[in-house]
Amino acid sequence: MSESALYACSIVILLCPVLGAGLVGALGRPVLRGRSHFPAILGVAAATVASFVLLGQVRGAGEHHASVTLSLYQWIASGAEAARDAWFNIDVLIDPLSAVMLVTVTFVSLVVIIYSRDYMRRHDRPEQGYERFFAFMALFVFSMCALVLAGNFLLLYLGWELVGLCSYLLIGFYYQRPSAAAAAKKAFLVNRIGDFGFGLGIFLIYLTFGQLDYETVFEMIGQGVAAGGQAIPEGRLATIALLLFCGAIGKSAQLPLYVWLPDAMEGPSPVSALIHAATMVTAGVYMVARCGAIFVASPVVMTIVALVGALTALYSATIALTQHDMKRILAYSTISQLGYMFLGLGVYAAGSAIFHLFTHAFFKALLFLAAGSVMHAMGGIIDLRQFSGLRKLLPWTCRFCLVGALALAGFPLFSGFWSKDQIIHHAFGANFWLGLIGLITAVLTAFYTFRMIFRCFWGEQRVPEGVHAHESGKWMLVPLGILAAGALLAGYFNVPGDRIGLFLEPAVQPFVAHAHHAVEAGFWAEHWLMFVSGALAVIAIGLAYLVYVVLPWAPPLLADLAPGAYRLSYNKYYADEGYDAAVVRPLRNGGRLCFGIDEYVVDGIIWLITAIPRGLAYLLRTLQGGALQGYGLTMAVGLAIIVLLVLWT
Amino acid sequence: MSVESQLVVVGAILFALGLVGFLSRRNLIVMFLCTEVMFQGVLVNLVAMGRLHGQLDGQVFALFLLVIAAVEAGLGLGLVVLLFRRRGTLAADAWATMHG
Repeated sequence: MSESALYACSIVILLCPVLGAGLVGALGRPVLRGRSHFPAILGVAAATVASFVLLGQVRGAGEHHASVTLSLYQWIASGAEAARDAWFNIDVLIDPLSAVMLVTVTFVSLVVIIYSRDYMRRHDRPEQGYERFFAFMALFVFSMCALVLAGNFLLLYLGWELVGLCSYLLIGFYYQRPSAAAAAKKAFLVNRIGDFGFGLGIFLIYLTFGQLDYETVFEMIGQGVAAGGQAIPEGRLATIALLLFCGAIGKSAQLPLYVWLPDAMEGPSPVSALIHAATMVTAGVYMVARCGAIFVASPVVMTIVALVGALTALYSATIALTQHDMKRILAYSTISQLGYMFLGLGVYAAGSAIFHLFTHAFFKALLFLAAGSVMHAMGGIIDLRQFSGLRKLLPWTCRFCLVGALALAGFPLFSGFWSKDQIIHHAFGANFWLGLIGLITAVLTAFYTFRMIFRCFWGEQRVPEGVHAHESGKWMLVPLGILAAGALLAGYFNVPGDRIGLFLEPAVQPFVAHAHHAVEAGFWAEHWLMFVSGALAVIAIGLAYLVYVVLPWAPPLLADLAPGAYRLSYNKYYADEGYDAAVVRPLRNGGRLCFGIDEYVVDGIIWLITAIPRGLAYLLRTLQGGALQGYGLTMAVGLAIIVLLVLWT
Repeated sequence: MSVESQLVVVGAILFALGLVGFLSRRNLIVMFLCTEVMFQGVLVNLVAMGRLHGQLDGQVFALFLLVIAAVEAGLGLGLVVLLFRRRGTLAADAWATMHG
């Protein structure tokens, strides 16, 4: 790999989006207005090209020279020259993992931003805040690239926080809507909880190893030494891993910190597609893959990761079964698929997890953008109860959405099938129950996805009152098409021969080294599972067709058969209400208590202390009568006293 | 009692009368008159001290003081006139507004 090319690529990837953001931010309102999308698209396009070049460079380097850390800029120089190691630089780590992530992130971002050019318009006039949108989107792409390219934990944390900020800004894009503002706040606060653990983890890393850059820390872990050459304390790595995982739970919306993601659908559909499907929420997965050395050191933590992933996948799939809002269904689906990725990481199948991340980015972004297309056509309504039978009205949206849904459901030959299957395969290899949960969730996934598709596009044609349903323009359909191609074909980047897995191997070495469970369970075992999962997906889709198209009276009947379960699922297991009662209300009342203490106790004490000067003043006030003679008398008395004193001493 | 002592006593009586008058009168001009009386008391005291030392310094100083008293009277009465114009009354109570 030529170093200068790498330097150039990293700088382009890091700087172009943020320059675009700055340009739109500064000139958007006064100058650019309706053309604000240009700097953003240009910046991200430059970053995309650079990512592909970078990928090419990494591929050309071969296995043993695959990982390079470049120091771009000396950021914090603390301490003496002798302690140079403790200085923090803007380091970038370029290896297969970051290359794959970068390509995914920049490419999908580019497609989504191009789509947004049309989406953020109403009757071909830009919406209120058009410039703000593109500035934030470009800023987000920069943050995500910084996160992925980071070569040390400090830069990772910077990118982590920045993506959280951009998420807040973009969820609350329609800030005049109270629900949107509340959702943005919720996202930020819940993320904060995770980030707190994440920050603690990073502190602990610094305390233990005295360093924050990846290369040094992972090397020290590999040798089992801490700072100063001592051995790493027992359980220290497990603690660090757990704390870092807290951050992943928050950012990637796993149990119990997933509650912000469904509400985040208040943001525009491109935001949901980019941030809450393809990129930001995958930051947690990326982080765990990157810090493999820390995680694999403790089998307990790996089990926790796998369990959290599997349970979250199942849990949110059950909630998605009963939701009516298309974007909510997709949000719960995202949580579920992220669960799959963590399950993959937990069973040491990091390559499969990243592969699933890659395919998921395509089909989930596609689904969200298609939902956005439907929303545009339906005049802003996305409730499945209000429309149906849109197949003839929105033919292209329907076709592309179908591709995405087939991929999500794991229909044979689509990308989702290959990646999900790999994870389930590794899960079965680790533990039968984990594999079973994965399989059941896959069935549920297929079912609820096609429930959504059939209710939206099949059945009798119904549109809400006064809505003129029209197919979207080419600026929206072409990106959908590109993503559909990706959803269809992305699997084939990996399938013959596990190319992506092998490519990633040097980067996720710790996972590979610890994979006890033989993937070589034989040709028939792996392929038997493929047949089973493929067949199950087809059956689930057929079942959904039966229930929602052939027998339209069936769904309410099914709901009545198990009212308790239905209500639990429909109300999201009352999770939000639970959090409200257990956390929000006590905190708010605690705040009121503190306010009362401040007002009555603290201010009261001050009042008491000030009573002393006030009393004195009350007494001394009598000396100032205002009348001339009074003052004269005081002077005379004073004079008399002095004279007497002089005479008698 | 020597002559000087008697003179000093006279001066002291004059001063005391003036002081008491100043402190107990309401009329601004009368208060002013009382300060003049206080001046005279001091004047007599000075003459007595001059006689004590057998020099004329005391009397010279007394002449100076007379002039000063006169000037000060002019100035003071001018101010009193202005004050009267402000409030329309010669009572000192009219100016007792700044009190606690």
